[in-house]
Amino acid sequence: MVRRRDILTIVLVILPWMLLISIWHQRTVTHLLPNQKDDRRHILQESVCGFKHMETFSTQYVSSRHLPRSDVLPVIYIITPTYTRPVQKAELTRQVSTFLHVPNLHWILVEDSPKRTALVSELLLKSGLNCTHLSTETPHSYKPRGPSRDSHIPRGTMQRNLALKWLRETFQQNSQQQGVVYFADDDNTYSLELFEEIRATHKVSVWPVAFVGGLRYESPKINVFGKVYGWKTVFDPHRPFAIDMAGFAINLQLILSKPQAYFRFRGVKGGYQESSLLRELVTLQDLEPKAANCTKVLVWHTRTEKPVLVNEGKKGFTDPNIEI
Amino acid sequence: MRMKLKLKTVFLLYFVVSLLGLFYALMQLGQHCDCTDQLLLKDRTVSQLRRELQKLQEAFRKPSESEKLSKNPSLPTIYVVTPTYARLVQKAELTRLSLTLLHVPRLHWIVVEDSPQPTPLVRDLLAVSGLAYTHLHVPTPKDMKLQEKDPTWLKPRGVEQRNEAMRWLREMAAAAAVEQAVVYFADDDNTYSLKVFEEMRFTQRVSVWPVGLVGGMRYEGPVVENGKVVRFHTGWRPSRPFPIDMAGFAVSLRLVVAHPGARFDRSAQIGFLESSLLQGLVTMKELEPKADMCTKILVWHTRTEKPKIKREEIMQKQGMGSDLNVEV
Repeated sequence: MVRRRDILTIVLVILPWMLLISIWHQRTVTHLLPNQKDDRRHILQESVCGFKHMETFSTQYVSSRHLPRSDVLPVIYIITPTYTRPVQKAELTRQVSTFLHVPNLHWILVEDSPKRTALVSELLLKSGLNCTHLSTETPHSYKPRGPSRDSHIPRGTMQRNLALKWLRETFQQNSQQQGVVYFADDDNTYSLELFEEIRATHKVSVWPVAFVGGLRYESPKINVFGKVYGWKTVFDPHRPFAIDMAGFAINLQLILSKPQAYFRFRGVKGGYQESSLLRELVTLQDLEPKAANCTKVLVWHTRTEKPVLVNEGKKGFTDPNIEI
Repeated sequence: MRMKLKLKTVFLLYFVVSLLGLFYALMQLGQHCDCTDQLLLKDRTVSQLRRELQKLQEAFRKPSESEKLSKNPSLPTIYVVTPTYARLVQKAELTRLSLTLLHVPRLHWIVVEDSPQPTPLVRDLLAVSGLAYTHLHVPTPKDMKLQEKDPTWLKPRGVEQRNEAMRWLREMAAAAAVEQAVVYFADDDNTYSLKVFEEMRFTQRVSVWPVGLVGGMRYEGPVVENGKVVRFHTGWRPSRPFPIDMAGFAVSLRLVVAHPGARFDRSAQIGFLESSLLQGLVTMKELEPKADMCTKILVWHTRTEKPKIKREEIMQKQGMGSDLNVEV
């Protein structure tokens, strides 16, 4: 009988202490959250094409819509690698038409070129978008030679990596500015709904992409719990992330918190480029499915035909001073 | 010596600890509580959101510049005629074209499907596009239709559809007073800068400009001397009456209405489709050159590759094709 009493006393002693300690522990943890007082405003140095240019061009292009800038809406950072070829101006023009509809968007355009070209500089200036214009040349030995002769030299890798580097140099981790990073190639087609899905990304979000992998569309596989457990693709579905560049977006803070994460470009098999970055950032369980649990197609991997310029002849028939 | 655990001791212990705790709490009262930071942040976000909401509400009440222009009756309407047909990239093409057109004030999009009836894909796309539109449809006769393996230049495309749009425009003009308006034939795979629409808006008869990436050249276009078109710069059959691409001209609605018989001739030779319409409407001297006397490229004849879906076909044969309910 004495023993039972002892046990009772011990329980009576320990139980309230456990309660107290757990409450205290919670309070101390919330106090340890990063200090929000650090509110440094970063200045975007390279954005030659600032928002203020919108006013001067709204008289030329009667149609420009002045979207009010929001301080609360997360900024979508679109990274587009581009290179000089006849359809470049056309592709970038229609990209601009799409992006002008999206509020709080910052376009990071990276040319595959030793210097920034006048064509792209002028286009960006006239566009009225918030943007950053960078350039870096892919070394000749890595450039794709001929039609898909060496399909595992990934195009645009150095340019995307430069954009990531710029982001890490420009923004501080844990700053108040929320952002999401999206890799958008200049020949794809994007719906406006896609950008709103992208905006709500906490770590890495994913969705289906049309016309990739030899299918109508490729998509992540979602289980009943709304989590990604695999990839609905035919081409190498066992890749860590069997997804196209246009099929995912990454939260800016995640990019900043893992400064070593870049796209690999040596020894990367065809189709593994996306995995080379994503596996440094996130696991399958952390992926957030968008587009109604990956049942809607909001982005199309369209490709533009290479125009046949046979009639130019050797000397060139048209005036080379006229920019196309 | 082992101390006996007496309840008395325990209660005494509790009393002492509570007393200490009370003292600690009393001390804390005087201190600046860190948790107010969290509340401050929430308050700040809420007030930021409130301010933005106010700004947006005000912005909505005030008509935007483009809205004012859209309502301005003295600004001529641009009727954009787009023939379209069902294929894999159709939704993508129409989506990106609609996003371009959405920037242009006083624009009316006439989409004509090559189909015996309107399809849900186009119907739904137009409904959410935000554009003023008319949805028409007319099927191309079977013997005139391009087959799977035919080269694209073999048979003219979009002829019945463009003619149907002109028929609708004439009907509409007959019912209501025809104000100044202009008609532009815009295929769904080309690329248009916003400037080209402003250039064509005040067309009196037929205005022309160069088109990029067409005719096997960097660009094709009219040559202008002393403000008049004297000839055409093209590498292919320059002897055509109007060696110009569909995207390189616009016709005033009045002219279309004044010539009820003018239409695209389906039996025209390849490359002569544009001429078949224009020669009934205007002479070269009457053409109005735009785009800085035809020295700027404001529209490009881009073409989209047919997506390779070999694996899809293989999967379908195995009964494991992608979900056809998912619209692409």
